[in-house]
Amino acid sequence: MSWIREGELTIIERFCANIIKAGPMPKHVAFIMDGNRRYAQKCHVERQQGHSQGFDKLAQTLRWCLNLGIREVTVYAFSIENFKRSKEEVDGLMDLARQKFSRLLEEQENLKKHGVCIRVLGDLPLLPVDIQELIAQAVLATRNYNKCFLNVCFAYTSRHEISNAVREMAWGVEQGLLEP
Amino acid sequence: MSGASGLAWRALHALVRALLCLQRALLACLRGRAAAAAATSCALLAPAARALGFREARAAWRRRGPARGGAARGRQRWRADGRALRKLPVHVGLVVTEEEPSYADMASLVVWCMAVGISYVSVYDHNGIFKRNNSRLMDEILKQQQELLGLDCSKYTSEFANHDKNGQVLNCQSTLKVLSPEDGKADIVKAAQNFCQLVAQQQRTHSDLDVNMLDNLLSSTNGFPDPDLVLKFGPVDSTLGFLPWHIRLTEIISLPSHLNVSYEDFFSALHHYAACEQRWGK
Repeated sequence: MSWIREGELTIIERFCANIIKAGPMPKHVAFIMDGNRRYAQKCHVERQQGHSQGFDKLAQTLRWCLNLGIREVTVYAFSIENFKRSKEEVDGLMDLARQKFSRLLEEQENLKKHGVCIRVLGDLPLLPVDIQELIAQAVLATRNYNKCFLNVCFAYTSRHEISNAVREMAWGVEQGLLEP
Repeated sequence: MSGASGLAWRALHALVRALLCLQRALLACLRGRAAAAAATSCALLAPAARALGFREARAAWRRRGPARGGAARGRQRWRADGRALRKLPVHVGLVVTEEEPSYADMASLVVWCMAVGISYVSVYDHNGIFKRNNSRLMDEILKQQQELLGLDCSKYTSEFANHDKNGQVLNCQSTLKVLSPEDGKADIVKAAQNFCQLVAQQQRTHSDLDVNMLDNLLSSTNGFPDPDLVLKFGPVDSTLGFLPWHIRLTEIISLPSHLNVSYEDFFSALHHYAACEQRWGK
């Protein structure tokens, strides 16, 4: 599966994993995807290549989480602040998202097999409509799976998230569903 | 935890802890040797000791207190230190994650912030100890202002009395806030409740609420800009509820402890901040 790299751990990796799993383990790990552009500069490749390789490394990391029994993973993939970047870079990141979410939808069987529930958090109306549709399909298709949870923060900032929550509460008050 | 894996985990854990203890002991030993060498001539070499940065010498100098003339010179030097940095934070948050806070050490940090020219300082601990004992902290700060900067604080006492309890003016240039967890999440909850009350009274609609409005509804840091820098003291890898809304773009620098912290440790953190690249998402 493109989002979670196929393949089991090597013998040494399995040995290390068993030792680590014997101690206290986090139930939920969040990853901030930082450093793609610095990596690209270091390897003398295009920024877009850096982002793409960043995704590949994420896929490998998700495999490790699965193997270590970490059932919930959150990924900060794209901040609202990142819209400030050049049009070229933002378009490139949107293309990458388009590619990856489309691929996700082609692998429904694998998602079902691993029981991965995909959630996407963020101010989605800020995204191109076709990406919103791909996201909606992925989220709906996996909403009943519950073996592990992957939260993708896309067009996300914590302030928007908090304001959104308060706005929804205020809507609830307007509708008479909640009392302040 | 049982079996071979469990034993291996315990062995690995013990090894890591031993290595960390060894590292800390080595660092302390190196510092101790350097400080012992300086302490013998610290009376004559106080300025030099300060420049070379020895903790014990500094503490002795701090307790004795320089003469008023000397303090004025010290004040100028501190201000020059601040100006020499590529960038100086406008608002520094001093976050203590240790269980037993020290008023004297926190007061030193606050006074150093003032001395280098930082306009807004906030002090935080997750138990709210500093907030509950605000007057004790203020007494200590006033004492150290006097000692280190030779500032005549009596003319500011009426300002302290009349100033609203949200912030205390330390001198013409700096303001201090003492914060606790109730200024964090609880303040966001209060703002949300207030807004929902307005909605219930039909003075607002839900779609009026955006990031800017919620920002304005928060009251814990009225008049203060968002923190540019948080200096976090102690072993806990968390800011433990310090102004979660306000620190979205804050640079967080960790120091091992606020107990017996030296000016050099403090200034080195400011130096680190001055050198950091901030892209703001760009």
